[in-house]
Amino acid sequence: MSTPAAARTEEFARVPAAGGEPAVPGPLPRFLPWLLAVGGALGLIAAFTLTVERIELLLDPGYTPSCSINPVLSCGSVMQTPQAAFFGFPNPLLGIGAFAVVVTTGAALLAGARFPRWWWAGLTAGAALGVVFVHYLIVQSLYSIGALCPYCMVVWAVTIPIFWYTLLATLDRFGGGARAVAARVSGYHAVPVVLWFLLVAGLALQRFWTYWSSLL
Amino acid sequence: MTRNVTISLAAVGAFALIVAAILFATRPDTPSGAAAGAGGTTDTLVTADAARLNDAPNASATLVEFADFQCPACGRVHPIMNQLVQQYGDRVQFVFRNFPLPMHRNAEAAAIAGEAARAQGKFVPMYDRLFETQADWSESADAATVFRGYAQELGLDLAAYDAAVADPATAAKIEADTAAGQAAGVSGTPTIFVDGEKVELRSVQDITDALDAAVTR
Repeated sequence: MSTPAAARTEEFARVPAAGGEPAVPGPLPRFLPWLLAVGGALGLIAAFTLTVERIELLLDPGYTPSCSINPVLSCGSVMQTPQAAFFGFPNPLLGIGAFAVVVTTGAALLAGARFPRWWWAGLTAGAALGVVFVHYLIVQSLYSIGALCPYCMVVWAVTIPIFWYTLLATLDRFGGGARAVAARVSGYHAVPVVLWFLLVAGLALQRFWTYWSSLL
Repeated sequence: MTRNVTISLAAVGAFALIVAAILFATRPDTPSGAAAGAGGTTDTLVTADAARLNDAPNASATLVEFADFQCPACGRVHPIMNQLVQQYGDRVQFVFRNFPLPMHRNAEAAAIAGEAARAQGKFVPMYDRLFETQADWSESADAATVFRGYAQELGLDLAAYDAAVADPATAAKIEADTAAGQAAGVSGTPTIFVDGEKVELRSVQDITDALDAAVTR
């Protein structure tokens, strides 16, 4: 890393951390803070917009949300399903809270903050819950609701890399065997994310094939 | 280039190739005349056995609607279409063709129920009933029974209805409707053609404008 990073390390020397540890763990110390800040911001905007659209729809049941483009690309039909309020309240409220933490972590890293292990572990646990929930929603959207909601897909798209790269950083931060695992995967860190995206894209293509092929 | 990038790009490339190959292999065989995709001739859109919403022997224009009984947008267009039949029914022949989307689990069964009713001259009452009750049967695990109940309530001959539902020719006719729609460039439901011209649907006025132009032509 360049000298400014080293200088920052000095500056935050009061923060308890193992000596000589880089401020940002993982295979991509420069990229991870931006991923968390920008990816988290995109997720936050999507969740916020979905919440606002949901309120508009409550005020006026005839309201057409901005993302209801056609029968396939439609959040109006998706957000009125029971799955859209899995815990009894609209899902995007979870997103507003969770993505705010992700953005804050990314911005703090950009500012030179160092986080202890427990913070990384907590962030990974939260991201893992997010990934599980997002995949439940992907399956519901594709196979039960039969429509895709564009803002929801933004959330799908950012949650996957946020989880993966946070996991790698956390394994690295923990050191020992976990770090060895992370180091082994690090040479190919983008491959799982790419395959993961392609799998979801492939399922969406297959499910709505008539629609996509009619666009050509 | 690192192996990380190489493998990632290779995966994306392979995916794109597979999708392109499937697209190429499954593209509809459109006759060169309809290949423009911007519409069909009235001949290919209005077949002799297509379902009709009104009886207008002196019609000077034709409106063809491609729709899916389970599509919410089609459900919203349904009352508008009935109003237009009231308004233009003496001058315009309204034709309904099926375009059940595979993602709607009961759309195909609904199309078959409509076709079975048409065979008994009761298409319009079944069509009205299917759209009006869309929310009741969309997620039903046994929609066929629900539709048979409608057939009974509408006073259809149930033995003939059951025979029509079971007849492979009925399913084949729905497929022919869908194929005609794809050849004419139907890209979603509902899609409306007035005299073979696809109407860009944004508001009801788009349909009435097209109809007004067609009847004064």
